[in-house]
Amino acid sequence: MNFDWSVVGAHRHALAAATGTTVLLTVATMAIAVPCGIVVASVRLYAWAPLRAMATAYVELFRNLPLILLVYWAFYVLPIATDVGLSPFATGLAALALNVTAYNAETFRAGIGSIRRGQLEAAMALGMSRTQAVRRIVLPQAVRRILPVLASTWVSLFKDTSLVSVIAVPELAYVAMQIRAQTFRVLEMLTAMAAIYWLLGYPQAKLVDWIQRRYAVTE
Amino acid sequence: MSRRAKESGATIIRYRGVVKRYGAFEALSGVDLDVHAGEVVCLIGPSGSGKSTLLRCTNALETIDGGAIEFEGARLPRDERALREVRRRMGMVFQSFELFPHLTALHNVAEGPRTVLQARRAEAENRARAMLAKVGLSDKATSYPAALSGGQQQRVAIARALAMEPDVMLFDEPTSALDPETIGEVLSVMKALADEGMTMVVVTHEMTFARRVGDWVAVFDAGRIVEQGPPRQIFDAPTTERTRDFLSHLGWHGETL
Repeated sequence: MNFDWSVVGAHRHALAAATGTTVLLTVATMAIAVPCGIVVASVRLYAWAPLRAMATAYVELFRNLPLILLVYWAFYVLPIATDVGLSPFATGLAALALNVTAYNAETFRAGIGSIRRGQLEAAMALGMSRTQAVRRIVLPQAVRRILPVLASTWVSLFKDTSLVSVIAVPELAYVAMQIRAQTFRVLEMLTAMAAIYWLLGYPQAKLVDWIQRRYAVTE
Repeated sequence: MSRRAKESGATIIRYRGVVKRYGAFEALSGVDLDVHAGEVVCLIGPSGSGKSTLLRCTNALETIDGGAIEFEGARLPRDERALREVRRRMGMVFQSFELFPHLTALHNVAEGPRTVLQARRAEAENRARAMLAKVGLSDKATSYPAALSGGQQQRVAIARALAMEPDVMLFDEPTSALDPETIGEVLSVMKALADEGMTMVVVTHEMTFARRVGDWVAVFDAGRIVEQGPPRQIFDAPTTERTRDFLSHLGWHGETL
């Protein structure tokens, strides 16, 4: 079998742009899913019962649907439901954010739940409101405790962004597959794709490990 | 009942018929007690007798099911905002310290002034430094709680409570979680505070402290105060069988030091 690796070099600009889109999609999804995850977790923990039930329903729905189904659903249903034509990128982002927010909400809920009740009481005994106590005392500890989990969510997400290729978001997987289809260089393109995902994913995982060591709280 | 040394001080906290239930279990079954300004009131008694529960009801970490608790002549408010103001004026020290592990000693102490009193950072940190000096820990300002001994952590916790300039200090078994060799340093900080005239309610198993520093001692059993009086009466001439039993179980046969 002949290999022609020049196909990778020839399409380097397209691949670089696609890689940028993948990174952007990951960062944007997390930028939405972390704060939203905190909000959903807080609602599940502290809010009025009917709101709590809604948050629980949201988490259980989106955590238990296959991501690819969610992507298709966002692609076909969102335009009809909202009457707004979203770009493939925005549609993919919406699907990813809905899914990852549900995961993050559970992660934050577990993290907050792992902080002793005495911490909340000590803060409230100083005269803090419950909201202040959660924001200033409980959450910062919870976040440090769940950093490893958020990190693996991040790395999974980075790879899962490839699923939005099914609705033609021009990220790495979609673009690589397009080049493959045009050039018939299947193994070369798959290998290039694997190399790019790995080379970007591995340092991210290491970086997050470092952050976790740096900010770990010992008790 | 014997004469009360600091009775001239205004009543700061008044408990009247306080009842607290956890489901079917009655943790407090009608507790009456007064705490006067400048007094050190020690709550003693066996585990599960309700003394810590009473303390936790005092700043409404627990709500009561009957009776009344008055702070400076007014019932504890139900309103969340008013309650925060009451809590601010009652410092609380916990058995398990409950220092904030993600903050240095200095920031633990400055957190209350910063968040609750909305002090500027520099002002809050200056106050925190002064409070750490007061408990003898100026050199530990940049240490995290995990790097401190139990006794040091508890002293930081006392400094944290004092930084809010409370009118009353509530101590919930402050030395029960400590190694024997660090108990003394915490008790001497508490003694110094009492000598300055701080009003204190102290749940304790340290009978020597109650005997020497306490102005008034209340003995709890099964959710009630079975006897209260000045320490001389409680420790040297207890009037109830239950007090005698409790003290002899602790091996108290008069002061040992």
